[in-house]
Parts: sequence; C-alpha cells; structure tokens
Amino acid sequence: MEYLIHLAILFAIYAILGISLNLVVGYTGLLSITQAAFYGIGAYTTALLLTQVGVNFFLSIILGIIIAAIISFFIGLVLNKFSGDYYALGSFGFNVIVFSILLNWRGLTRGALGIAGIPKPEIFGIHFSSNFTFLIIALLSLGIVYIVARFIVHSSFGRVLKAIREDEKAIQVFGYNTLYYKLAIFVISAGMAAISGSLFASYITYVDPSTFTLIESVFILAVIILGGLANLEGSILGALFLVLLPEILRFVGLPFDTAAQMRQIIYGVIIILLMLYRPKGLLGEYKL
Amino acid sequence: MFSQLILNSIIAGAIYTLVALGFNLIYGATKFFNLTHGVLAAVGGYSVFFFSKTLGWNIYFAVVLGIVFAGLIGYGLDKFVYLPLRRKKASNMILLVASLGAMTAIQAIIAILFTSQFRTLPLNTGTQRIYEIFGGVITETQLVILVVGIIIMATLALILKYSMFGKAIKAISDDEEVARIVGINTDKIIGYVFFIGSAIAGLAGILIGFDIGIQPTMGLGLLLKGVIASIIGGIGNVYGGVIGAFLLGFVENFGIWKISGEWKDAIAFVLLIIFLIFRPRGIMNKQ
Repeated sequence: MEYLIHLAILFAIYAILGISLNLVVGYTGLLSITQAAFYGIGAYTTALLLTQVGVNFFLSIILGIIIAAIISFFIGLVLNKFSGDYYALGSFGFNVIVFSILLNWRGLTRGALGIAGIPKPEIFGIHFSSNFTFLIIALLSLGIVYIVARFIVHSSFGRVLKAIREDEKAIQVFGYNTLYYKLAIFVISAGMAAISGSLFASYITYVDPSTFTLIESVFILAVIILGGLANLEGSILGALFLVLLPEILRFVGLPFDTAAQMRQIIYGVIIILLMLYRPKGLLGEYKL
Repeated sequence: MFSQLILNSIIAGAIYTLVALGFNLIYGATKFFNLTHGVLAAVGGYSVFFFSKTLGWNIYFAVVLGIVFAGLIGYGLDKFVYLPLRRKKASNMILLVASLGAMTAIQAIIAILFTSQFRTLPLNTGTQRIYEIFGGVITETQLVILVVGIIIMATLALILKYSMFGKAIKAISDDEEVARIVGINTDKIIGYVFFIGSAIAGLAGILIGFDIGIQPTMGLGLLLKGVIASIIGGIGNVYGGVIGAFLLGFVENFGIWKISGEWKDAIAFVLLIIFLIFRPRGIMNKQ
C-alpha cells in the first residue's frame, strides 16, 4: 500500500509538470526543453526556506512560484527572440545554466551534496507526515493546477495561444502582441512547475542538482508527447503511464542502477516510436 | 598561466572542431539539430575501451574499429529513424525530438554495458611525454588531438570542395528536392554523410578518452559544445564551425581565468545566447 501511495505521489508531481509544459509546448507550440530548471528552482526554494529560514511549507510553495516566475520572465524574454528548433536549443541552454548554478553555487545550494532534512508540511498544527496525508496535498495541488490550466486554455487568452501556434503572423495582423502572450504563458508554466518542485523537495526530504538535469526535461517532454500535445487529460495520462511503466522493471528484479538506466532506454525508445508512428501522442490535438 | 590558457584554448578548440565538423556536415544536408551526435563520441570511446581493454586487441586496430562503429551507429540511426521520418515529411522539431530520444536511450545502453564509472583508455598513460611551449605545458595526446583535428579539417575541406561527393552534398544543402530531380541519390548521400559525421564524432570521443577519460554522459557536454560552436560560427557552414570551435575554446578557457572551472558550461551557453540574440546566423553565414 505504501508503495502504491508513493507511486501516486510521483504521478501527481509529474502530472503537474506535464500540464505546465503542455501549456507551452502543446498549446502555444514553443518546444521548450527547460522545464526541469523551474522544477529545480521550486524544489530548492522550498528546501532552503524550510531548512534555513523555517517558513511554512505552503508559504514556501508560493515563494517558489514567485521566484520561478521572476527567473522565467527573464529567460522567456530571451527565448522570445527565437522560434522553431532554435527555441528548443535556447531553452536547452537555460536548463544547462540553471543546473550548473545549482551545482556550483555551493554557498547557497551546497552543490552536489544537496540539501537534506527537509521537513514535511504542517499547517494549523496538522502534520502531513505520513505518505497518505502527503498524497492528499499532492492530489489537491494537481487538482488546482488542472483547473487553472483548464481555465486558461478555454479562455480567450488560451485561444490566442492556439492561434499563435497555428499562425503567429496572422494573429499579429489582428493586433495581438504575441510576445506578451508567449511570455505570459511561459511564466505561468514555470510557476506551475515550481509547485511540483516544492512537493518533490518536501516529499523526498532531500534535493540535489542531479534530479534537475536535461534528462529530466526530456522525461517531462516524453510525458506530454506520449499523452498528447494540447490535451490536459493527455498529460495526466502520460504521467500515469510513464511513472508506472518502469515499475514493471522492478518486478523483473533488475539491480537499482540498471533499472534507472532501463527507464531512460524506455523513455528514449517511446519517444522515437511516437515520432515515427504517432507524433500526436495518445490523445493529442496538435503535432509538432 | 597566460600561455597555458592559450594552449588549453587551442586544444579545446581542436576537440570542439571535430564535433562541430560532423554536426555541421549533417545539419547542412538534413537541416535538423541532430542531438545524437554527441553520444556517438561516447560510442567511439567505449568501443575502443571494449576492444582494447576487455578483449585485449591491438590498440590501433581498436581505434579504427571504434571510429567505424560510431559511424555505423550514425548510419543506422539515419536508416531506421531519420530517413523514414524525412520520407513522411516530418518537421524539423519531430526529427529533433526523435534524436533526443535516441540520445537518451544510447547513453543509457552504454551505462548499462559499462557502468556509469569514469574510465581511462590505455595508451602510455602516466608515461606520456610532455612538451613545454612558452612556459605552457602540452601532453603528447593533446598534440595528437591538435594534429588530427587539423588533418581531418583539411581533408574534409578538400573533399567538399573538389569531389563529386562534396558537390552532391552542397547540392542537397541548397535544395534537396532539386538535387533529387537532377539525379542525385539524396538518401544514399545523406546516409554517407551520417556515417562520416558520426565517425568523426567517434574519433573525437576516442581522443578525449586518451586525453582525459570516458564516461557514458560525456556525449551531452560535447554535443552542446559542438552545437554552440556551429551556431556561433554559422550553422551548416563547415568552415564557420571551425572558427566557432576555436572562439568557444578561447572564451571558455579565458572565462574561467578568475573563477572555478566548473562554470565552463554556463559560460559557453551565455556565449551562445549572446550570439543568438545579436547575430543568430553566426560569424560566417551571410544574408
């Protein structure tokens, strides 16, 4: 049972990441490969605030969102200059830069040693120390993110995003400043990813830079491509699949290190097969 | 210190040149960012490790096999993944994402076969001769890297300029559709381009293995450097890639003059982003 709860929490974390990235890649058509950076920023914000300053977990989520939003604002400003595969490459670069800051700014992040002993959430004297209570928080967060994302994509703002994806020039002719829209959705997406990071940090109670590499961004991309671009339910489905699939390997009895590598092979092969045979993913409404 | 920095920059530049040459060659012919390019360096390095250390074969023979093997993997990826995608008229982004998947998978396969540990390749390690130039130090291996880099560069330049094969590549770069109409077997030529580009990447991995050592994740860093060198030099332009590689080598090594060497990657990306903002077509490309 504990094991199932563990998987459910991981699922919630990745579903949030998937939804957040889908807003940028699926709905707006910007191939961003830097989501792990904002995931990491959220995780480190919570880790540092809880262990060094001792603020409340829920407050740290909000601060994480704000910090990720500020950083993503500047990254988005730069990325807005690019389109297509150059956008992908630029975002790639920011993931490497953020990772290298997490790894090398030892005074703040303790570098490769990571930050241990992150406390579990508590509010009004209620402790969410068991995994089951934590699952409730994780699922609630997923619910909130889902509702917000749903609201965004069904609003007029969301329709402009889709129009940008289909034909940016055309929507500019109608007088929309597409740069503002692209920047706004990028910042919103980063804020959502930061929530995942906060949850992750508090749940695992330990963070180190190796969780937030480019490979993690590739994994999040695999989640939304498998589930389907421009489909929020698809991202949830994709997260479910990709969190559960590697668990089968555990029952085959592979050693831990090999199992981790097998996961990467599976993600890699899934991406290739999807690109070859179903670039829309399972429930997708848009293909790259 | 100063002359050592210059030497380090030149050696880094030579390695990045090898990666950028193959990357640019492939980009020129196919117009997509082939992200598996870096991991083929790891394939080359680990092949040599396998043939020479595990099987105990002659080291020079192992090097040749390693280069060919990296080339074959690149060729196979084109045949089974990129070529079918091109036939379906898939967008560049789909090809990019597919290559991202291939990169992730190959890197993990190497890690399973050889563990994630850092390995060294056998070639008079420890007993290497060291040369002193203007107060800077350069090892024998690094000298070999430099010489090989220059030879490959020159050979490739000659082939591209004077052979029929080179002209065919140029025609495909300009317009694949038209090249096909005038009777060039574009699929076959692009297959060869993948083989050659990947073999050069494998060679780069092998040389790095002799100089520093190999690790399954080495490819990603190399790929990024190769891509950055190509873009700042002028993407798809083979000579631009060389200039970009040396510029990157110098900026990186002088950038860490006063700060810790671990910031190299971040510095390289800052350079890329500066170029993307102010001169996205790179140094050599016109228009």
